[in-house]
This record gives sequence, C-alpha cells and structure tokens, in this order.
Amino acid sequence: MLVPNPLLQSILIPLIAAIVIAIIGKRVKEVAGWISCASIVYSTIMLILVVVKIWIDQNPIYEEYAWSELAKLKFGLLADGLSLPVALIANLICTACAAYSIPYMRHRIESIYGGDDWGLYRLYFALYTLFVVGFIGISLSTNLVELYLFIELVLIPSYFLLDLFGYSDRHRVAIMCFIWSHIGAALFLIGVVLAYVKTGSFEVSTLSSLTGTYAFLVCFFILIGWLVKTAVFGFHVWAPWVYAEFPTCAAPVVAITAGLGSYVMVRLLIQHMIETFRIFSIPLMVWAVITMIYGAFLTLAQDDVKRLCACSSISQNAYSLLGIASCATLGVAGGIFYSINHLIGKCILFSVAGILVHQTGLRDMRRMGGLASRMPLTAALFVIGAMTLSAIPPLSGFQAEWIMFVGIFRQGFHGSTTGLVIALIGIFATFLTLIYTFWPVKRIFFGPLPNELRNIGRAPYIMTIPLLILAIISLMLGIYPDILMRFLNSAISASQSY
Amino acid sequence: MLEALRMFYAPWICWISPFIGSILSLFIGGEEDVKLKGTIASIFTGVSWIMALLMLPDIFKPRLRDIWVGWITLPYGEPVKAGVLLDPLSIILANIVSFISLLVLIYSIKYMEGEYGQARYWCLMSLFVGGMLLLVLADNFILFFIGWKIVGFCSYALIGHYYRDEKKYWIGGPPPHPFEKPSTCGLKALIVTTFGDVAMLAGILIIYLYAGTFNFQTLFSTTNIWMAKMAANPGIITLTTILLLGGPIAKSAQFPLHVWLPEAMAGPAPVSALIHAATMVKAGVYIVARLFPIFFNGYWVNGFSEAFNFFPIIAVLGALTAFITATDAMVSLELKKILAYSTMSQIGYMMLALGAAGMSINATITGYVGGLYHLLSHALFKAALFLCAGLVIHVTGSIYIHEKGLSRKYLPMTWIFMWFSALSLAGVPPFSGFWSKDEILTACINAGQYGLFLAALLTAGITCFYSIRMMGYIFYSRSGEVEEVHGEPKLMWIPFGILSSLTLILGLMGYWLEGVLHDIFNEYFTNVLRIPLTALAHTSTSLTQLIVPSSSIIMLLISGVPAYTFYISHKADSWKIVNANTTLRVLHKILWNRWYIDKFYRMTFVRGLHLSRPIVQRYVEDSIDFSLNIGVPKLFAAMYNGLRRIQTGVASINILYILIFLTSMVIVILAVI
Repeated sequence: MLVPNPLLQSILIPLIAAIVIAIIGKRVKEVAGWISCASIVYSTIMLILVVVKIWIDQNPIYEEYAWSELAKLKFGLLADGLSLPVALIANLICTACAAYSIPYMRHRIESIYGGDDWGLYRLYFALYTLFVVGFIGISLSTNLVELYLFIELVLIPSYFLLDLFGYSDRHRVAIMCFIWSHIGAALFLIGVVLAYVKTGSFEVSTLSSLTGTYAFLVCFFILIGWLVKTAVFGFHVWAPWVYAEFPTCAAPVVAITAGLGSYVMVRLLIQHMIETFRIFSIPLMVWAVITMIYGAFLTLAQDDVKRLCACSSISQNAYSLLGIASCATLGVAGGIFYSINHLIGKCILFSVAGILVHQTGLRDMRRMGGLASRMPLTAALFVIGAMTLSAIPPLSGFQAEWIMFVGIFRQGFHGSTTGLVIALIGIFATFLTLIYTFWPVKRIFFGPLPNELRNIGRAPYIMTIPLLILAIISLMLGIYPDILMRFLNSAISASQSY
Repeated sequence: MLEALRMFYAPWICWISPFIGSILSLFIGGEEDVKLKGTIASIFTGVSWIMALLMLPDIFKPRLRDIWVGWITLPYGEPVKAGVLLDPLSIILANIVSFISLLVLIYSIKYMEGEYGQARYWCLMSLFVGGMLLLVLADNFILFFIGWKIVGFCSYALIGHYYRDEKKYWIGGPPPHPFEKPSTCGLKALIVTTFGDVAMLAGILIIYLYAGTFNFQTLFSTTNIWMAKMAANPGIITLTTILLLGGPIAKSAQFPLHVWLPEAMAGPAPVSALIHAATMVKAGVYIVARLFPIFFNGYWVNGFSEAFNFFPIIAVLGALTAFITATDAMVSLELKKILAYSTMSQIGYMMLALGAAGMSINATITGYVGGLYHLLSHALFKAALFLCAGLVIHVTGSIYIHEKGLSRKYLPMTWIFMWFSALSLAGVPPFSGFWSKDEILTACINAGQYGLFLAALLTAGITCFYSIRMMGYIFYSRSGEVEEVHGEPKLMWIPFGILSSLTLILGLMGYWLEGVLHDIFNEYFTNVLRIPLTALAHTSTSLTQLIVPSSSIIMLLISGVPAYTFYISHKADSWKIVNANTTLRVLHKILWNRWYIDKFYRMTFVRGLHLSRPIVQRYVEDSIDFSLNIGVPKLFAAMYNGLRRIQTGVASINILYILIFLTSMVIVILAVI
C-alpha cells in the first residue's frame, strides 16, 4: 500500500478539517467551503486507492486500533466489497454537495439572516464535514458500539443544520428530526445491548453466534430501529418534513442515512443473522410493497418540488428494502445496488430542486413551467435523475432494478404464491415511479414560460458540474455494472450462502 | 481483413456507430448549426447501413451466429454476456432500420432548418436509431431490453420536441374538439409504453428464474427443459406469456394499449416517420418474431399446451386492432393522425400474421414470412407517407386534410410519390403492400382461421377507402381553389422518392421476393432451428392461392369505387349521406371519438389520479402526520400536566396514594402466589 492507514485517514482528515474550519473559518470566509470540499476529496481519494487495491487482489482491507481496554473494545475499520462501494458513493455525493453548498449557503444565509454572516457560514461547513466522518464510520466500522457512535454523530449536524438553515417551521422540524432519529438509534441500541449481554462482545461477527428467542429479539430491535430511519410506512411521517425543510444543499446527504439503512441491514442481519432474519422476510416484503405504493401516491400528491423529492425517497428506499427482505442473493446485491443508484439519482433531483429555489425562489410547481428554455442543463440533469430513479437505461437504475427483482421473484417461486404476488405488485409499483418523476419534468420544465420567470438565468456551473459527474458515474454503472457487481459479488459470496 | 470485418465487427459497429454519432452531434457545432449536426448524425447512421449491408449475404446461407463479450457477473449463476445474434430475422431488420433511418435523417436536415433545439434533436434521433439497432441485434433479453427502453425514452423526448407547447404545434381539433399539447403527448407515450415494459420485464425475469439464462439462442435450445419446469405449475406459462406480450402490445400500439400512438405525431414529421416506420413500433413485431420460435418449439415440438396461448393472443389482438384503428382512420381529419391509425392497423396485420403462423403448422412459413414481408413493405410506404405529409404540412401550414387543396401542378414529385405509397398502403397490385397483405390473408386461410381472415379482408377494404379519401382531400379539393405553393426541396423529395420507388420495385418483384423469403425462412426453420416443419405441414392448395388474391381485389373495388366517387370525382357527397342517416351519424361520432377507448382511460386513470391526490395528502397523510407528530406530543403534554396536578403536596392525599399502592401490591402478590 502506498499510503499508510488509508481507512483511518479517510475518517480523520475530514474530522480534523471540521475542527480547523470551526476555528479559522470565520476569517477565511468562502475558503471554509473549499477546505471542507478538499478534505472530502482527500478522503475520497483514500477510498479510491483502497478500491484499486481490492480490485486487484480481491482481499478485504482491515485496520484495527486499540480503543478501550476495559470493555475489550477495538476500533476496527473494514473495507470489503460491501462496505467500500457504499462508503465511496456516500463520499462522492458529499463531495458534490459540498461544492454545491459553496454558492448555495451564501444565498441561504442571506435569505434567512440578511447579508453575509461568515460565522454561520463556517459553522455550516464545520458541521457538514462531520457528516462525512459519520458516513464513512457507519460503513466501515466493525463493532456495534462504534457503529452506534457514528450513527449518533450524524444526528448532531442533522439537527443543527436543520435548525439553523432549514426552511419554514425549521425549529419544530429540527426537533422532529432529532426525536425520530433518536428513537431509531435507541431501538438499535437496545438490540446491541441485548446482543452484548448474551455474547459478551460488541463485535459484529459475534452476532452470528446468537440463537433462538434472543436472536429474534436482537434482530427485531435492530431491524425496527433501522426501519424508522429508512422511513417505512407508519414510521415515514418525519421524512417529508425533514428532507423537504432541510437546506437543499445537504438534503441528499441526509438521504444517505436512509440509504445506509439498507447497508446496515445487510451487514448485520443478512450477513450474520440470516436464519433469524428469514422469519421477517415475508412480513417485511409486504410492508415494503405497501410503502412503495403509498410513497408513490404520496409523491404524486405533492405540488412542492422539495416535498416531491422527499416523498419519493420513502418509496425508493422501500425498493431496496424489498430486495433485501427477499433474502435471495441477487435480491440483496440488487438492493444495495439500487440503494446506491437511488442515492445518486436523488442527489441529482434534490440538487436540481435546490437550483430551482436558488434561481427562481419558487418551490411550488404550479407556478413553474417552461424552464427548460431558460436553464437547459438543469432540465437535462432533472431528466437524468428521473431516468435513474425510473430505471431507464443506459443509467444505473435499470441494472440495479432487474438484478434486484430477479432475487425478489426467486423468493416468490421458492416460497409461495404470496411471494409471487408480492413480486408482481412490487414490479408494477415501479411503474408509478415513472409517473411521479416524469410528470414533474413536464410541470417544471415544459410548456409556456410564465411571465414572471422570463428573466431567470442559468445556474452557476459550480452547482451543475458536480451533478454532471454523478450522472456520468450513474451512466458508467449502467453500461458496465460489473464495476460495482464485482465488489458486491466478492462480499456476498464470501459470506455464507443464502 | 474485409472478411473479419464482415464476420465479427460489422454487427457491433452497426449498433455502436449511431451512439457515437449521438454524442458527437450533441457537442460538435453550434446550437443552430443544423447542417453540421445533421451531417454527423447521417454519416454515423450511414456507417450502420453499410455494416448492415455487409451482413446481408448471410441470410442466403442461413445460420445462427452469436458473437459475445463478458458483461455482468452475478453471484451464483451464469454471467450475463453482451452479444449480437445474427440470423435472417435480425439481419433483415437491421437493414430496414438503418436504411430508412438514414433517409429520414437526410430529409430532416432540410426539414429542421430554423427550428429550436437542434443539439437535442440530432442527439436523440441518433440515439433512437442506435437503440433500435441494439435491440434488433442483441442476443439476450437484458441487452435487448436496454435498447427497448432507450427507444421508448427517445420517442418520449422527440414527440415532445416542441416542449414549449406553442399553439402552432398543438394537435387535435379542429375546434370545437379539444387540442393536445406536444409535452402531454410525449408523456402519454412514455407512460403507456412503460406500463407494457414493466409487464415485459416481469415476464423476462420469470423466464430467467426457470431457464437460468437470458440468451435467446439458449432459451430456444433448452425450451424442453425450462418449459417443463414451468408447466409443472399450471398457469405460470400463461401468466408469463401475457406479461411478456405486454411489452410488444404497448410498444407496437396494439389494443388495449394503443392509445398513445395517435398523439405521437405531435413531434416533427421525421420523428413520426422514424417512430412509425423504423425505430419504435416495429420493435414489438420484432420481439414477437424473435420469441416465436421459442413458443413454437414449446407447443408444436414439445407439446406444452399452455405455450399455445401465445399465438391466439397476438392473432386476435392484432386482428382487433387492425379493424378498430382502420375504422378510426375513415373519419379522421388530421393528416398525420390518419397515418397513425393506419400504422396501428398495419401492425395489427403483422401481429395477426405471426399469430396465425403459430396456430397451425400449415401456416407457419406463410404467416412468419407474411409478417416480416409486411413489416418491410409497411416500413417503406409509411416512412414515405410521413415524409410526404411533413412536406405537405410544411407548405400549407395546416394539419388538416380538408384545408389543403393542393394541386399536382405545384407539387409534382409529392403527388406522384404520395400516390405510390398510398396505393401500396391500400394494397393495390402491383405495389409491395398487395403482396405482403396477400401473404397474410393466405396465412389466415392456411391456419383455418376463417374469422380472422374475414376481419383482415374487411380491414383491407377499409384501408383502401381511407387511403383514397386522404389523397382525395389533399389533391382533389372539391372547392376547386388550388393553393399555389412552391418548394419541393431536393433534400426532402429525394428520400421519399427513393422509398416510394422501392415500394413499387419490390412490388414488381413481389412474387419472386415472396419465394426468396419463403426459401430463406424454410431453410432457417428446418435446418438452423431444426424444427421439422416439412414433415408436419401440408402445402397450401391451389384453391387458396386463387381465392385470396381475387377476394382481396374484389374488396378493393367494393371500397375503392365509393371512395373515388366521394373524394376524387365528387359525384356524391359523403357528408350529406352521413347526416341524412341517424345510424351513420352515431357511428361517425363513435369513430371520431376512437370508440371511446381513449376517453375511458382518461376518465378512469388520469381523472382517478387527480382525484386521489387530495385524498392521499389531506385524509391519509395529514391524519397520520397529525396523530404522530402532533397527537403523541400532545398526549405526553396531557400526561405530564395530569401528573403535575397529582403532586398536590397535601400530606393526607399522599398517604392515600401510599395506601393505594400498598394494597395493589398486596393484591398483585396474592394473585401471583
């Protein structure tokens, strides 16, 4: 390895950057944003180095540091075919959003507080950089306490950014976000503690030694905890508020938390507790299908472009959940693939919504129209995002979708008619995605241009170019999905067969 | 060197080239530089055509070649390979697609002059061609489906090309009838076809679960294994068939998913020409023809009775669509809408032919060849008709046939070539349309499906009627006022001139061509696919060979003569006759409203969706939201307010609490013991 401890560096550098920004950020003004951006790019490069290494010799990389002798805790970081793609995509999205935030936050602070306030500006970037630390931590950590710590770390910036820079009713929504996330985390913690009581260790790998009722309880609590975070039907009420009222430049980043939900389920429950998890398979699939359909209709009911993106996340995360709940190899691999695809697509859509707010000051789609002639690149990006979500090739959505649905159908045929019916309803629910993504395209970008929008200008390139890069990544994954599938295969084949 | 190119690289270059053209035409040249962008797109499509021509000799020595590279690895299971499949079917289709697309692209260099969105237009047109060539040449379902979806997306974007919805691009009407805007039409096409695509993907995945492969060739050769597994669960084959056919039915605009195509002409005329003739609706026919041997093998060779359902479904739906949409075309006043209805009707014929081919082993070759032959002749005359229509609309500025009043004096080339194509559409000998329709009618007779034969024959008559009506309105205006227009740019009339001349030339060689196609596919079925056809089939009797052409010519006369008197010689007035008769008036209304199918969908699905929006938001989401985000906190507030009231600090009340607590403890303990 060319660089020592690349995984630790990928976490520590953003953490140090966050502290540096907090200290000197006020003086350097807009440079604070660039520091944050650079630190995230650095940690992305570290991860890419690891990707290259794993691509060549196929062995996972594991780093271990002493942490607490008392509880026999070790601070482990594991990069294998499963955690690495997730961490890398999360990082890439964070990079794109950091660059995007640089102009956007000036606009946002000006519209809330009136005029530039560099103190708040640096606070935004200091907190924002903590997200990256949290996400890489969640993906790479090897023991449950470490995982819990990083989950809670993500909660801090979510709360403060929402409270300080959110949209209408932001204080109430910030508390809502805090409480719901905390409920999820607390349920997860109950599962963790139960597991510790039985096994005497917090290591993820010891989960597989659990059996019987105990395993059932641990699985149940961890699952429910993460279902709250992925906003399945019933627990979804926070999602439209939080995603929609979050400062747009960081909304895709918050959506990553839900995306990581599918990863954590696979890492903990599928890889180590598959026998217990199977009990939940059918109920969970039904729940996922209900969420998919309800989420789709909810999305269709929205007129606010940000709430539209927010509600579609509910439905989209349920796709991955359906794939994972099928417990079939391809369903799980496809579920992770789909969740990565959704993160990319949703980041593009959210950011375009942000561009619309930035340029026009509007959120209500009923007052928009014909904007494609004023901002063609933005329109193209929105269409690309819509294509990614509604699985239109050559973007990655289609590849993820078919791989995932092979698994879901397999569950149907090995199981019962119920499974087949679920699979069929599930695949027909994807049809709704197309309607709720392409109808807004027409409402926002097509048709005659309203008079009050005649003088709208093109979006700044710093906001659109990062999105274009994400679109290219999606295109690459769509044309040659093996870039990702090779990693997922190695990770999933390495664990036990299911 | 040339041999290696021909053998291995030609099919790959053939479908990749338009994709490269698409990217280049997006970035090279200024936004208004139609010549440069158009030339780039045309050159890359031209390369595809040359490659397709290089593959052509292969159809005379039929064999099946599959050239693949590794693509997607899956955990546990055979990796999915990306490959091209070369057999007579894919080679013929690749030639038709690339040749017609090339002419359409050349035509649109002139047509698109001065329009907005050049970069978008050329990029998407090339992508459209590339997607279609990909789906035609792909050797497996996944690669095929990628091409299939790209084609669907491009049609959406191109139908909505005039996304600003200026009034001059609206279709529908004339007032008081409602208009449609291009952006809505595009969305409608996307939504309806995607519904079919989703069903098809489900069908593909079910087949994959049983067969473990997406490869067409492997699926065919292992039919006996995987279909046996499927047949073990009754209903699964039928379910899969219906799901699988959802795709072609939506894409090829067959009943009941045909509603999108009449609106699909909202885009520029070359786009309509591509959609109707080369790159969109033909995809459905292609995949049915591609799946045909698999299901044929399943039923006729291996005897899985459920596999038979594939054939009657497409035959009946095809015949139904052919009839319904042909009647719609009789009353329509929009030029491009008449052509759109006729496309659905003609595609219905192709489906009918393929269905009939599978319903009886006597009709297999005739039906299969009939379907493909009709695909070829329809591609030629329909592309020509749309390009003519584009020119006619361009010069008159009206989308309606009754406002044209053109004269052959001013547009001689358009007049002659449009007549050629219209006669070919009507199925008048010696144009190629006659031969291919004849083949389809023969197939129906051979299959013993006399009902379908009658429907097809009746439709042939209607087709002749509306073709003449359309020409009469445009060039033989009753009022006698002939608009003096000039301008038949060479770049516009030469492409459709080539296409119309070809339909005549192929028609003159019709009998011979039919024989050649018969030989090719006979060879293909018996020696390549090794289906023992000849041993099972009877040759068609000479009586059939006589009945079919004579009955179709009689039908042409029965419908052609009234059409001529109404619209060309004006000896009688069709409006007077319709208005005088109540039944005809009602019939006219039903036909004008497209049998109310479109209205029904609009009322149920579109209105339903709009009605659901407030219900979902206000009554469902808001109540859940209120109860959890406001109700639960309120409950807590109520609880602590209640608790606060208990904390009175009065000693006697506190003692009472202690007493209540102790007694309840005692009761609990006693109960437990």
